[in-house]
Amino acid sequence: MAAGATAGMAEVRATAPGWFRRPTTYLLLCGAALWAWAAHALWASTETAPVSGPHLDAGRYFGDSFLDRSATYSHFLEIESLLGMVVLLVVLVLYARHGHRLMRESAAGRIGTGMLLGMLGFGVVWLASVPFGLVAVWWQRRYGVSHQGYVQWLIDSFVGLGGTFLFICLALLVTIGLAGVLRRWWWVVAAPVLVGIALLYTFASPYLITSTSPLRTPQLVADARALEREKGLSGTRLEVEEVHRFTTAPNAEAAGFGPSRTVVLWDTLLDGRFRRAEVRAVLGHELSHLAHNDPLKGVGWAALFLIPAWGLIALLTRGRGGMARPEAVPVALLVLVALQLVTTPVLNAVSRRQEAAADWSALAATHEPAAARSLQRRLAITSLSEPDPSPLSSFLFGTHPTALERIALTYTWEERNLGSSHVR
Amino acid sequence: MASDRGVRPVRLTIADDLRRNRATVFFRFLLALPLMVWLVVWAVGAFVVAVVNWGATLVLGRSPSSLHRFLARFVRYATHAFAYLNLAAGPFPGFLGRPGYPIDLEIDQPERQNRWSVACRLVLAVPAMLLVAVLAGYGANIYSALNSRVGLSTVLSMAAFLGWFSALARGRMPRGLRDLAAYGLSYGAQLWAYLLLLTDRYPSSDPLKAIGPLPVRNAPVRLEAGGDLRRSRLTVFFRVLLALPHLVWLTLWGILAVGAAIINWFATLIRATPPRAIHRLLAAYLRYQAHVTAYLFLIGNPFPGFTGSEGTYPVELHVDGPQRQNRWTVLFRLVLVVPAFFILAVYNLLLTVVALLGWFASLITGRMPTDLRNAGALVVGYLAQTYAYLLIVTDTYPNSGPAEPRPAPAFPRQPLPIRAPAAPPPVPV
Repeated sequence: MAAGATAGMAEVRATAPGWFRRPTTYLLLCGAALWAWAAHALWASTETAPVSGPHLDAGRYFGDSFLDRSATYSHFLEIESLLGMVVLLVVLVLYARHGHRLMRESAAGRIGTGMLLGMLGFGVVWLASVPFGLVAVWWQRRYGVSHQGYVQWLIDSFVGLGGTFLFICLALLVTIGLAGVLRRWWWVVAAPVLVGIALLYTFASPYLITSTSPLRTPQLVADARALEREKGLSGTRLEVEEVHRFTTAPNAEAAGFGPSRTVVLWDTLLDGRFRRAEVRAVLGHELSHLAHNDPLKGVGWAALFLIPAWGLIALLTRGRGGMARPEAVPVALLVLVALQLVTTPVLNAVSRRQEAAADWSALAATHEPAAARSLQRRLAITSLSEPDPSPLSSFLFGTHPTALERIALTYTWEERNLGSSHVR
Repeated sequence: MASDRGVRPVRLTIADDLRRNRATVFFRFLLALPLMVWLVVWAVGAFVVAVVNWGATLVLGRSPSSLHRFLARFVRYATHAFAYLNLAAGPFPGFLGRPGYPIDLEIDQPERQNRWSVACRLVLAVPAMLLVAVLAGYGANIYSALNSRVGLSTVLSMAAFLGWFSALARGRMPRGLRDLAAYGLSYGAQLWAYLLLLTDRYPSSDPLKAIGPLPVRNAPVRLEAGGDLRRSRLTVFFRVLLALPHLVWLTLWGILAVGAAIINWFATLIRATPPRAIHRLLAAYLRYQAHVTAYLFLIGNPFPGFTGSEGTYPVELHVDGPQRQNRWTVLFRLVLVVPAFFILAVYNLLLTVVALLGWFASLITGRMPTDLRNAGALVVGYLAQTYAYLLIVTDTYPNSGPAEPRPAPAFPRQPLPIRAPAAPPPVPV
């Protein structure tokens, strides 16, 4: 029977197509299975917040005039952003076709020349995005969300491009350097190295935020420490970022991990418009991100997408001699950015899930659903964000649950934990 | 570096023997006071005449001879006075601006000028004014001479400041400092001649065109500014950002170079000759520094490599092999190098202005003007010489003035192929 089975297998192999007989195929299948398992594990590692809450009427919370105003404001920015993406892709396609001609501007070796092409690629993209950025600034100024000057925006954006240049140089140093040694399988080693760099960056990112100072309001520091204990954390850095010169919009972020764990509050959150209980809700939300290790999970998700992306880049740049050659860099940029655009909705879904979990966890720590509701309403109003955008808009651009979903979540929590709900 | 020296309508000539009388050097600033007072009086008259000359040149298309003569004499007198004040010349000059002074000015007869250029002369002169602010103060005028705040921030006054000490000690003005002062004076005179409509030839910042016969230097560290003047507008626009990875790498390499220099210092103190391996490392560092500086400030066009290899960049630094050095100068190198860093401070200002003007020019025309490129190359060369002296690569003191470079083989242009026909040999980073 065993002999018969062996003979049968041999027959199958003999009649199967060529790719089916290659060991690479099996390796790739194993890799895909491993990828799917890791993605599922990462997705499941974020505790689930209730997705369905009571249905709320946005008009009753925000008023019809605000809904109209925020819809006009958001739709314009969304259309402008979509146009920007189209232009970005067109520019990168052109650069992928003609960018290699810029090699004559280099007297460096292949890695240096690759760096130059990489930087110039991002430079061209920046030039193409400047009009869209300026229009966005104009629109935000028109609606009073930003008061950043056009020249200041240009300068900040240009300086920020310098950081991008340095990062791309580091990435290309690793990529082209390894491709020169490992040829076709460079990406198997390059991807973990780049993930390691991303990990390092995530760790160091709180120290790279400029214009920050420690949080000095004693009551808020006390609140944060109490919430920290509730979440099983300790020693989290509490910083305030000075942004009021550019914007009126409030925000906060959680960054770093381990000893670099930091909560950064924008100073627009502390200018008197928000009550202490509301700021406490923000602190609870950001500390929940840290307690859930969301910055680290972000690196995990990046790794999950980078590894196959690098493999695809290795495949698609073969026509230009592979990533060991600098002329492959413009093609690699196009592939990378296109993949990034394609995967954005997926990563947005991941982000929305993490944000909802942080909201839920913050409510468990503060026990103040009313303050959280009021905060969400005020955040939406000051940022002029649409409380209940279309599903397509959420799918493409939504990194957070909508304001209405977040308010509904507070009612659900109230109902489950305090036994009462006063949905209006 | 091609030069059209000798055909410019405003030319500085030098017949100075470098000897200085210590007493007149010591009191030079006070001795120059009557010259400055007379210059102010003359300047008032020259201003009135210049306005008349402007109207007349606009109508006639050329400057009337009498007005031209008066204004030429004024510019010549100003050059004499400032040459005296800044120790570029020894003898006390006359008050009439007659020819024959050791630092003199030759100005051609009036020629036909473009009326548009005459009408817009003040606007057109703005870039040159920016340069002269660094080279000689605002037009080598009295304000810059009397205002100490402005004074030491110009090439001319820094040369005078350092030359004062040297001339007092040795009774001679160092050739490099004298030529440096002459470079500033030459540019100032050219600008005044351009502003006063004595010529419509734009002032040249090229140090090789600034003064008469230049010394041919056989320095152990010398810069060869080759390559074409074409510039890619895209890389020019992003030049500062494109140089960022090089600046990071240069900083890291600089840390290594400091360590190597300390070892070099001890080794040269003992053996009198730098160890070959350390010398090679430091020479590569200096070359890389020159490549990066040239790239950042638009003196060179292509993106440089990261290794500082010789023969890889059109703006090339040649460093001779290790030579025997005077142990005393090695011992006190950190002190001895201080005056060179003074010069370097003002030279860096010049380089910044050169890069700024070159940036606009290259973006508009796609070419770096030769004059600006050569002015920048002078600074990059001086920077390399200063660091070579500091890092004990050589004991030849940096030459601050312009000099004819020793002929060197042309830059071998070896651009990377657009498409590699086969597996190429590995090229280092």
